[in-house]
Amino acid sequence: MFHRARRTNDPGPAAEALRLVKVGKSYGTGAGAVTALDGVTLGLARGTFTAVMGPSGSGKSTLLQCAAGLERPDSGIVRVDGAEMTGGGEAELTRFRRSRIGFVFQQYNLLPTLTVAQNTILPLKLAGRRVDRARVREVLTAVGLGDRLGHLPDQLSGGQRQRVAIARALVTEPRVIFADEPTGALDTRSARDVLVLLREAVRVHGRTVVMVTHDPVAASYADSVVFLADGRLAGELHAPTVDAVAERLAHLGDDVLLEV
Amino acid sequence: MFALALRSLRKRPARCTATLLSAFLGAAIIMTFQSMHDTAGRPGVDRVSAESLSTAASVVGGYGTLLVFFAVASTLTVNVRQRRSEMELLRCSGATPAQIGRMVVGEAVVIALVGAVLAIGPAMLGGRALLGVFQDSGQVARSVDYSFGPVALMSGIGITVLAAAGAAFLAVRRATRRSVPRRGARRLLAYGALALGAVAVCSTFAFSARDAALMAPPAYGAILLSVGCALVSPKLLTTVLDRLPLPGASGWFAVRNLRRRAAELSAVLMPLILFTCVATATLYMQAVENDAIDASGLPKSVDAKNLETLNLVVVGIIVVFACVMLVNSLYAATTYRAGEFGRQRLAGATPGQVLAAVGVESVVLTVTGVFFGTLAGLAGILPFTLVRSDTPLPGRGPGIWLGVVAVAALVTVGTSLLTARHAVRAPAVEAVTLAA
Repeated sequence: MFHRARRTNDPGPAAEALRLVKVGKSYGTGAGAVTALDGVTLGLARGTFTAVMGPSGSGKSTLLQCAAGLERPDSGIVRVDGAEMTGGGEAELTRFRRSRIGFVFQQYNLLPTLTVAQNTILPLKLAGRRVDRARVREVLTAVGLGDRLGHLPDQLSGGQRQRVAIARALVTEPRVIFADEPTGALDTRSARDVLVLLREAVRVHGRTVVMVTHDPVAASYADSVVFLADGRLAGELHAPTVDAVAERLAHLGDDVLLEV
Repeated sequence: MFALALRSLRKRPARCTATLLSAFLGAAIIMTFQSMHDTAGRPGVDRVSAESLSTAASVVGGYGTLLVFFAVASTLTVNVRQRRSEMELLRCSGATPAQIGRMVVGEAVVIALVGAVLAIGPAMLGGRALLGVFQDSGQVARSVDYSFGPVALMSGIGITVLAAAGAAFLAVRRATRRSVPRRGARRLLAYGALALGAVAVCSTFAFSARDAALMAPPAYGAILLSVGCALVSPKLLTTVLDRLPLPGASGWFAVRNLRRRAAELSAVLMPLILFTCVATATLYMQAVENDAIDASGLPKSVDAKNLETLNLVVVGIIVVFACVMLVNSLYAATTYRAGEFGRQRLAGATPGQVLAAVGVESVVLTVTGVFFGTLAGLAGILPFTLVRSDTPLPGRGPGIWLGVVAVAALVTVGTSLLTARHAVRAPAVEAVTLAA
């Protein structure tokens, strides 16, 4: 139902799903200040699957949080689906996020008191949009949970919980889905299922996915990998393979050492 | 383990504020009233004055001990629950349940001691003021001097420390023993309290209108009924919630949330129901008693005055403690949910929507608590009024009840919203990781 509603008041997806211009972010003040992001400029086309990689402390989580409107950058511009994320209150930012962005986190972040189906429709309820039960069932069936609609999150395995989170991110039909270490807490097999679902979201449903990960295997599911070191971009890799990503990661450390 | 207890107290003093506050209040009240024993024991006090003083001290002493125990137990249970991860860490590092128990009990004893010592000053002032009240109403002779002696000191510190140690022992035993909650015992307790309460309330009719002890059965009956109601209320709340279509995303969310958390909510409903019941029942019964004495045209006897003072004092104590327990368990429950609020916001809830859901939840809680509290209170008021004045309803309007409800609503909704607003102020991502 909301396919149609959306099309009437929306010019349609922009060609560029995400655009960051000289985004900077630092934590703390004075001598103890840490620069997490140092003028990052990045553009991601619609319908792409991008992995963001880098050593611990390289700023990859900060990058994702700034791009997703969970953190406010100190400087620079963030544009999601052609709309600039401006200042304003937390409520305004929330409305911006829920109309354009879906999330998948390492810790699932499902609400323990709601069933699988209720968790999935929560973003629609909160946005005051109509809930199409058939569509919700369809999305949950697509992630392999069609027979568990009434279960509570703690009755599910980690992999199943993450698939609920993906269904929740898909059901609002967001322009961009941000995934922060989505396979970080999963076994290999569940991780593979989750990654295939994320890739399908891009290939089949035309979403744009940005995934932060430290795992070369997870990154190899993406169309391209963006490397980050010390809060700056440190190269890009198209059509990544596990070995190529691992090798590049190993040498990222070297580059940083050379600079010092 | 005791060194560890002291260390954890020194590093995280704020965590113990609620326990310290209830220990302090409890010790202050106990010492205030026990100092009446000291005062009565002074040489040259006449028999009537001594009896007034001793009665007050004994009655409130018993009540006070129970309340200190419950209040400290409630704050410690919350404290222990919040520290589950710390205890898990200790358990994994090789601490036996007994060692963890010693740590928590040690902490509780230290806090209780500090609270009791701090309470000495205020208790002296309070005792002096109380004696003044007794003297002004003519229950105690003017010539009696105030004395704060060994009875007040020993019983104040002793009772507070013992209650704290006992409450801590029970709280930590519940936390470290990973047993399933016994449903049957709870139900038995609930039905037992309801049955005993009903018997007590009905036995009111066995007394004559002039009996001095007439007020006791309905008052105790009402308290027992409210405890029974509090024990069965989560189940009834779930039934009501199933048929409650609340509008908006926040309403939808609040109803689903409450239904799942119904069992945990008894910690909040218990003081709320008890507060409403005791305050309503005692105040109305006293009003009826006063009206009846006025109607009879006789001057008030010292006994009647004693009874009135005691009633008001007991209401005051229960109100203060129920408020402390209510604020503490609501504050803890809401702080505990900071991670949940973060997750709601990550799912697309604005801070306003999170607060609205909390608001709806606390309004539903208040209505439930006030409803059951009033029901239990009425069960005590009606028989008493019927026996005392031959009419089923008290001659007073709903003014007292409205006042009680206003306090209950203010405390419940206010605490929840203020705490939630504080929790929502942190960035959503941080709130989620902190709780994880």
